[in-house]
Amino acid sequence: MEQINLAAPAPVPVKSKRRPLSWNRIIGFILLLLVTVIMLAPLWFMVTTSLKNSKEMLAFPPTLIPQTFAWENFSELFTNTEIKFGQQYMNSLIVGVLAVIGTLLSSSLVAFGFARYHTKVSNLMFMLVLSTLMLPYPAIMIPQFLLFTKMGMHDTLLPLILPNFFGSAYMIFLLRQFFSSIPNELYDAGRMDGCSEFRLFANLTLPLAGPALATCAIFTFIWNWNDLLTPVLYLDSQENFTLPVGLASMMSSKFRLAPWNLLMAASILSSLPIIVLFTVAQRRFVEGIVLTGIK
Amino acid sequence: MKKRWLSAILCVSLVTVLAGCGGGSKSAEENGVVTITHYTIDSPDRTFVEKLIPDFEKKHPNIKIKVTKAPYEQFDSKLQSAIAAKNGPDVTSQWGYGGFMEYYNKGMLADLTPYLKDFKASDYNIPENLMDIYKVDGKTYGIPLNSYVSVLLYNKDLFDKAGVAYPPTDYEDKSWTFDKMVENAKKLTVDSKNLAEAQYGLDFGWGERDQRPQYFGADVYSEDTWTNGGKPSQINLDKPNVIDAYKQIYSLIWEKKVSPTPAFSKSVSGQFGDPFLSGKIGMSAVGSWSLASSNNFNFKVGVAAIPQGPNEKVRSVLYVDPLFVLKDSKHPKEALEWIKYLITTEVQEKSIELSGGNPPVNQKAAEKYYASFEGIEPAQIKQVYEGAFKYGFESYNHLMDNYSQINELFINELAGVENGEKKVEDVLPVIQEKLKKLLDRVNK
Repeated sequence: MEQINLAAPAPVPVKSKRRPLSWNRIIGFILLLLVTVIMLAPLWFMVTTSLKNSKEMLAFPPTLIPQTFAWENFSELFTNTEIKFGQQYMNSLIVGVLAVIGTLLSSSLVAFGFARYHTKVSNLMFMLVLSTLMLPYPAIMIPQFLLFTKMGMHDTLLPLILPNFFGSAYMIFLLRQFFSSIPNELYDAGRMDGCSEFRLFANLTLPLAGPALATCAIFTFIWNWNDLLTPVLYLDSQENFTLPVGLASMMSSKFRLAPWNLLMAASILSSLPIIVLFTVAQRRFVEGIVLTGIK
Repeated sequence: MKKRWLSAILCVSLVTVLAGCGGGSKSAEENGVVTITHYTIDSPDRTFVEKLIPDFEKKHPNIKIKVTKAPYEQFDSKLQSAIAAKNGPDVTSQWGYGGFMEYYNKGMLADLTPYLKDFKASDYNIPENLMDIYKVDGKTYGIPLNSYVSVLLYNKDLFDKAGVAYPPTDYEDKSWTFDKMVENAKKLTVDSKNLAEAQYGLDFGWGERDQRPQYFGADVYSEDTWTNGGKPSQINLDKPNVIDAYKQIYSLIWEKKVSPTPAFSKSVSGQFGDPFLSGKIGMSAVGSWSLASSNNFNFKVGVAAIPQGPNEKVRSVLYVDPLFVLKDSKHPKEALEWIKYLITTEVQEKSIELSGGNPPVNQKAAEKYYASFEGIEPAQIKQVYEGAFKYGFESYNHLMDNYSQINELFINELAGVENGEKKVEDVLPVIQEKLKKLLDRVNK
């Protein structure tokens, strides 16, 4: 083994990993720290309020750290029969998951059609689909309400889930743009190997569309998870409520103190699925980019 | 593999969808049993009626009651769309932002007079003048259920610390005047920029902003408003006595400095909270619903009479909550049976505890209500209530058409005065002008 001359100068001068502390960097750091604190303050209040008992939550000035940690706030959400939090959580999950499945299935099929088959009217049809984006929900609210009520679906979760199975213009647009970018050669290769049109869609397009599908899934889930107006219109009984309606109900009375501590505990629990989904889907997102690295 | 997985999901979702379609569409009218829907805000002090249903259904085997709910903020929009879709409830009340006259003028309410031939308010111990609130041209459109009044809540701890005597509960006590209240408030006030030290003597939240001058003997709307369906023919915001009343109201914040600024209130209690709950306010003139949560307060609370102000006749705002039957109801008679059940003495007494302290309209049941607050003498609450009824005027929001829009105008325009950025005499002409235009538009 050859002896290494440690004293010899390195061929390329090694940059010190740490840049020298300059006032600019220190000020920048302090500014960033300040912004972080400002951004995290509401979150901090949410977490601490959720752990205060009902006397302490009204204390002024508010305590920064709860004197006694009232973990029972979290269990009360599930045991208090007047809140029905667990049931509402379940409802929100059912709506969220089925909405994602519905939107992905229907929108990706339609988008595949728009991206792959071109006829004289396909552009016009695509424009028509896009134009539905211009319709605000309140414009279709009453007719849709009438429709679902006539079908006997009032006070069930179906009016929240079903529309997702008929495509969403926004997702169709997003997926079509993505599908269009997949090179034709891949499809030709698939056809040579004897793929049916559906297999081209299911086995070729979908696996390549990971990132786009993940984006769609995240958007759809968040929209449905946070939606308040639609469930308020359709759902009448507390056991059918979704989380946003349940949370709004908890502070709904001007005749009574809102149970802020329970409300904050509920808010923490309801933001969990979004956080989880985001972290999981984000990884898929990156994976997708790697997989589709065709040049 | 992938394909099978995909079709499995498709199947599952289709089955779920189809299975759901089957339910729900059952006919309610089997064997002459009718279902009455009772629509309310989803809050324990309203939804407690569910607990009364089994007893009611036992007594009325031909009627079923279904309670439907919405959060307070969304109450009106859900009601409007349900009515538009001919799917409205049978029984409800003005639990959202809109009020009686708004409902009435939109033609939402059923005239109950034909069904009330052998109904006597005295059988339910309801004072006749409360029944009159929900009559138009001699026809009855609503039956009172709960009656809230204005009360003066005070923080006993702050009074003790400042060595100020508690205010009286007797409306006939002539020494208890508005000036005396302000004088007390001064002793209780610590006007400081430091939020932790600052405290204020009085939060004068008497009625909504457009009704407040009434306490000072000035009326914002012409007299005919209360007889013609809530449509004022004249607005008096340019009259000297109204301007003077508003000056008195806002001098409490900016000249006398005994009332909290909106900035202070928001910082101690959030956007919509009541600053009194923070324990930093000595006295608070509010609706008596604030009493319902008094057992949770961080301090000892007392209740007193609203002092004698410049208006000798009106010292309290009445908030009488009624129940309505909607016009589209297919079973108004059965709906009325349910309402009558809710105002019987026995049920009204039971409701106090179930609701957590709703004041019954039934005066016999009210006796029990007076005795349901920790640390407050029943006789005192009774005296305050009786005085408030005697010197009471129904809240404007129940009596005026399009009230939510009018109220919003007042809130938005007066915000400048409350913040100390604008002067009363500059803002009132603006409201006068805008309100005229608004009323011209909606009352066409």
